[in-house]
Amino acid sequence: MHGWTGKILRVDLTNRTYRSEPFSEEFAHTWIGGRGFAVKILYDELAPGIDPLGPENKLVVAVGPISGISAPNTGKTVVAAKSPMTGGYGDGNLGTRVTEKLRKAGYDALIVEGRAAQPTLLYIEEDRVEFVPAEEIWGKGTYEANEWIYARYGKGAGVLVIGQGGENLVRYAVVRSMEGRSGGRPGMGAVMGSKLLKAIVVKGSRPIPQALPAEMKVIGRDDLRTVHAMDQKAGWSLQGTTGVLPWCNEVAALPVHNFRRTQHPDAWRVDGQRLAEAKVAVYGCPNCTMQCGIAMLDTEGRESELDYENMGLLGPNLDLFDIREVATLNYLCDDFGLDTMSAGGVLGFYADAIQQGAARGTLRFGDFAGMRDLLTDIAHRRGEVADLLAEGTRRAAAAIGHGSEAYAMHVKGLEISAYNCKFIPGMALAFGVSPIGAHHKESWIISYEITQTPRESYGREKAQKVVDLQRIRGGMFESIVSCRFPWVELGFGLENYPKYYNTITGRDYELEDFWPSADRIYALMKLFWLREYPDTDRRADYPPAVWFDPANADAEGLIAGRHLEYDQYDALLQHYYDIRGYDERGIPTRATLESLELGAEATAAEQFATLT
Amino acid sequence: MKVCVKLIGGLVHTVGFAEDELHLPAGTTAGALLAGLGIDRPGWVIITRNGQGIALDEAVGEGDRILISPPFSGG
Repeated sequence: MHGWTGKILRVDLTNRTYRSEPFSEEFAHTWIGGRGFAVKILYDELAPGIDPLGPENKLVVAVGPISGISAPNTGKTVVAAKSPMTGGYGDGNLGTRVTEKLRKAGYDALIVEGRAAQPTLLYIEEDRVEFVPAEEIWGKGTYEANEWIYARYGKGAGVLVIGQGGENLVRYAVVRSMEGRSGGRPGMGAVMGSKLLKAIVVKGSRPIPQALPAEMKVIGRDDLRTVHAMDQKAGWSLQGTTGVLPWCNEVAALPVHNFRRTQHPDAWRVDGQRLAEAKVAVYGCPNCTMQCGIAMLDTEGRESELDYENMGLLGPNLDLFDIREVATLNYLCDDFGLDTMSAGGVLGFYADAIQQGAARGTLRFGDFAGMRDLLTDIAHRRGEVADLLAEGTRRAAAAIGHGSEAYAMHVKGLEISAYNCKFIPGMALAFGVSPIGAHHKESWIISYEITQTPRESYGREKAQKVVDLQRIRGGMFESIVSCRFPWVELGFGLENYPKYYNTITGRDYELEDFWPSADRIYALMKLFWLREYPDTDRRADYPPAVWFDPANADAEGLIAGRHLEYDQYDALLQHYYDIRGYDERGIPTRATLESLELGAEATAAEQFATLT
Repeated sequence: MKVCVKLIGGLVHTVGFAEDELHLPAGTTAGALLAGLGIDRPGWVIITRNGQGIALDEAVGEGDRILISPPFSGG
C-alpha cells in the first residue's frame, strides 16, 4: 500500500498497554485519512451516550496521505473525539511536528483510550511507547510545559500539549503545539485532560511510504516555491487572516457586543494593519511558506500570536478596541489552552446576560481587567460563575435562563466563529449545518455571498455553494489533511491536491473523485449525531434566535433594520437537505447512506434511532 | 467626485495608502479605479461599494466608500 503506513497505534492509558494495528487498503481508500479515519473509528468504537469526559471516550490523532510530505502546507494533524461541547462528533486540526513524526514513527493514526492513574506524558518513538509521569508540568500553562518537554526531548520532537483549561475540563479547551498552534475547538483539550494526559510526544525516522517519492520531491519543492512567490506578490502574510477584520466591519459582518452589532467605528484600532505595525515576529506550521502567525507584544510584554478569529471575538465582540489588551486575552487563552473563539463567545454572552438583567454580576463590555480576571478563573474553574462559564455558552444559558438562550451565540453547543450573520443567510446556513457546531472551517461562503450574490437571497445556489465548500474544505482538506490556505488565500489551484494524492498513493484521482468520500464523512458525522440525539430535528441546524429577531436588527448602518427570516431560512435549509439527500430532520436517508456505502453504519444507527 | 478608498493587506504596500479620499472623474468604473491605483490584476481582488459587491464595469459614485482587498476566502 503506497501513501499510508497501514498502521494505527492504539494506546490504553488505564492498563498502560499499546499495540500496533494494521488497516486495509480498502479502509484507506474509503476514508482517506484524518477526519475520515477519525469519524469512522469513533463511530465504530464509541457506544452512544458515553460521557465525553469519561474514560470511555477516545482521542484520535490522525494524519492523511499528504500529511508531512514536503509540499505546501502539509504540516496539519486532526485531533478528534466525542465532543464535550456538542455531544456529537468533534474534531479540529492544528499545525504540528507530530504530523511528520507520527508518519515517520510508522503510523497514520493514534487512538488513546482509558484514563491514566496520574498525570502522564505519552512518549512514542516508532515501536516504543512510554507512559512518563507528568506531575511536574501538571498545573502549568502550555508555554512552560512546552519548554519542559523541549528540554527533555528536543525541539524537533512532535508535541501535543494541554494547559490548565484542559486539565480542569473546561469544555472548550484545545490541544496546543509549537507554542502558537491550536486545534480541536469542540473540547479536544478537555478530553486529553479527562484522561490525565498532559502531552503526547512523537519521534520517528522511518521513510513515509510514497508511490513516486522522487517525483513528489520535485513537485513538492517547486510548489513550495510557487506558493511562497504567490504570497510575496500578494503580500498576504503581511497581515495574514487579520486582513479579514476590516472587511467584515465594512460589510457589516463583524461580531460586536456579543454579536448584537455588526460594525463599529473603532474596529480599525484592532485590525490587521495595526497588527502588522505592532508585529515583532511571524510563526508558522511545518512545511508552510506563507506563514500567518503574526505575533505582537501584549500589555505584559509577552509575545501573543494573533489571527482574525481571536481578534474579532476577544476584541470587538467584547467592546475591546485596544489591540494590546486583545493580545493579552489571546495570550492567556493560548497559555491556558482555551479556544479563543469560544472564550470570546462565552465572555460576550455573560456580559450581555448581565446587561439584559438575566444574570447578576459586575462584568461589563469593555472591561478589560474584568474579562482578563474572569478568563483566568474560568481556566481554573475558580468560583461559581467561572465554573458555569467553563461549561460553554449553551450550558451557561440553560442555567441562567430568563431568555438568555436567545442570545447564546452557538450552534449545537459550539460558539460561533467571528462572522456575524444577522443578515447573511448563506453563511448562517454554513454555521447551522456544520456537523461539529458553528465552525467557519467547514464552509466559508461569506465572501462569495457578499460579492457574487444578492445578500438578501435565500436561493438554492447558496445551499449548493455550502455543499461545494464542505466537500472541498471539510471533506478533502480534512481527510488528505493539508492546510487549505494556499488555495483559500492565494488561489493556488485545487488541482494540485489530487496531483499530490496520486503521486503519493499511486492512484488516479481527479478532484471530483474526493466528493464521495467527503459526502460519506459528512453523512457519518450526522449519523453520529443521530445516535446521540435520536429525537433530533431540523432545529439543531438553526442559528441563534437573536439573528431572526427584528428587535436585534442594527439601528443604523449598512444593514439597518435587516435580519434573517425564519420561513426563508427554513426553505434554504431544505434546499441543503435536498441536495445532500437528507430527510426533513437533516439526517441522511437510508437510500443516501447506501449510495455512500454506509449500509452497515445505517443498520448500526437503527439500533438507537429511526432512519427514513 | 469624491470617493473614499480603503485598502486591505498587501494592497496597502502595493498602492501606498490604507485609506484615502480620491477625486475621480464622474463615471469612473471600478475597473478604471483599480487601474488608476496600479492594481494590475483586477480580477484577483475583492471590491465592494458601501459594503456590497460591485462589478468592474460598474461606475462608482459621489460619496461612495470603496473597499479593495485580497481574494481571501476565510481562515
